[in-house]
Amino acid sequence: MSAIVEARNLSKHYGSFTALDSVDLQIPTGSISGLIGPNGAGKTTTLKALIGLCDVEGELIVAGRDPRQARHRLMRDVCFIADVGILPKWMRVKQALDFVESVHPHFDRKRAERFLSSTEIPAKKRIKELSKGMVTQLHLALVMAIDVKLLVLDEPTLGLDILYRKQFYDRLLNDYYDGQRTIIISTHQVEEIEDLLSHLIFIDRGKIVLDQLMSQLSENYVELIVDAESRNAAEALQPIYRRVQLGKQCFTYEGVPREELSKLGETLTPSVADLFVAKMRGGHHE
Amino acid sequence: MNNGQLRQFLALVRREVLEHPSLFIGAPAILGALLAIGSLWVLSMLPSEEIALGVEYLSILFDGLSPLQMAPMFMLLAVPFIIVLFVCGIVYLLNTLFQDRKDGSVLFWQSMPVSNLSTVLAKVVTLGAVVPVFYIATLFVLYIFTTIQLTILGFNYGVEVAGLGYMLGAAVVSLLLVYLSALAGTLWLLPSIGWILLFSAFARRTPLLWAIGVFILFGFLEDFVFGSQFLANWVESRSDPSRYLITEFSSILSRFFNYEMLFGVLVGAILIAGAVYMRRFID
Repeated sequence: MSAIVEARNLSKHYGSFTALDSVDLQIPTGSISGLIGPNGAGKTTTLKALIGLCDVEGELIVAGRDPRQARHRLMRDVCFIADVGILPKWMRVKQALDFVESVHPHFDRKRAERFLSSTEIPAKKRIKELSKGMVTQLHLALVMAIDVKLLVLDEPTLGLDILYRKQFYDRLLNDYYDGQRTIIISTHQVEEIEDLLSHLIFIDRGKIVLDQLMSQLSENYVELIVDAESRNAAEALQPIYRRVQLGKQCFTYEGVPREELSKLGETLTPSVADLFVAKMRGGHHE
Repeated sequence: MNNGQLRQFLALVRREVLEHPSLFIGAPAILGALLAIGSLWVLSMLPSEEIALGVEYLSILFDGLSPLQMAPMFMLLAVPFIIVLFVCGIVYLLNTLFQDRKDGSVLFWQSMPVSNLSTVLAKVVTLGAVVPVFYIATLFVLYIFTTIQLTILGFNYGVEVAGLGYMLGAAVVSLLLVYLSALAGTLWLLPSIGWILLFSAFARRTPLLWAIGVFILFGFLEDFVFGSQFLANWVESRSDPSRYLITEFSSILSRFFNYEMLFGVLVGAILIAGAVYMRRFID
């Protein structure tokens, strides 16, 4: 599978603070990749580097270009939505459509208007007069009407209520994603995007701590629930994380065969949220 | 520049106008209204004998003058507009590469396939070539108002100030000269424009303090190290409006094409390039 993003040895320092520490990254073309990490982990820095908004050391190719050179050419093939507040507040909805239509060669205005017609957003309103949810819908309508290879979403639903969040991801999946485009979503609300993802990346303190296709997750990570008598045997297999669930011991393993674990108790594939906690709290970084 | 690039550039200019209607359209409109109301108020306060004297004085002043010769006198009415444009221009330049970083909308602008060079040049072109049109349009309305006012006053007091056609002709010539002066002023002041843009793109807060503070610091350093005041003298020499105001067509070439102008344009271009460079990353 070809990669739309190839990064090698990416590093970024802000004074003595290391935001990215020799990050290697490959995002498969056509994937929906989740970049998950706690606050301050380096998610936004990584995404900004991908679209040329942040200077980083190392090798970086996005959609066949180095984002640090001629960002504006890269942005013909890449779209970006940061958190909900980045649309210019003084603009009216119609003016936003006019502007994007005038500057973006791949923008389909009719498509954007079709998306907007299914919302309650009035074309004459200023963006500052819209609710957060409406601003996100507008931004999504603008972006979904642009034919690009890569869509980068940085905490796109931050601060929105559950209805808007659900609607956002539904539209993204049903009206935009076609299997050819690549979507990278950064968030720390893991549960919301778990079912969308085909590729998972965990980042913590500037380092990639997990980089897996979702299809491989069940092969490499297993959760084991054991009774008290099997606890020592389970401990001996070096779990990356342990917790107590409803009075039972629950262990998360990396790279231990499921067959071996199933002799000790019930085995499950950990949810992305559980795996995230396991990797972040377990302290076993790659 | 192909059609697509031209369309994109025009969209950027349009964006600037839409984003700053109060500076570009509101300010001259309010000034024009104030001047019009002010002139009516003054006329209502003056005794009719003094008005008659004034009208007669104007008729003598304009007597035998062609519209071209009358135009510089009409330009006097443009002085407050030039001052307001100057002040609004500084406010605009200070905020234009700062405000979008402050409110986060820079991420939206940077997510579009628009180069930083186009963005910054569109701002300079907007200020130097487009905004003066709005000021001049308001000035034109004021000229018409004044011309009609003078004609009515002349009619009332039995004096022909100047022919209506002559005064309108002088107004049009004056507007052309004001616009050319605005263009020449933009080029003459390009180092200042570039300097302010540089700090508008650089400063995390209070670009005004940065722009003034760094300049003062450079001035002190120059004085301390070399014992000279080249920077201060240079700025003083470039602050003289007589170097860029055009009051007659015969001085157009000499205003635009002289070594000092070209040197200033070069310095301004370097500083604007610095602003474009600052703009390339937002962290």
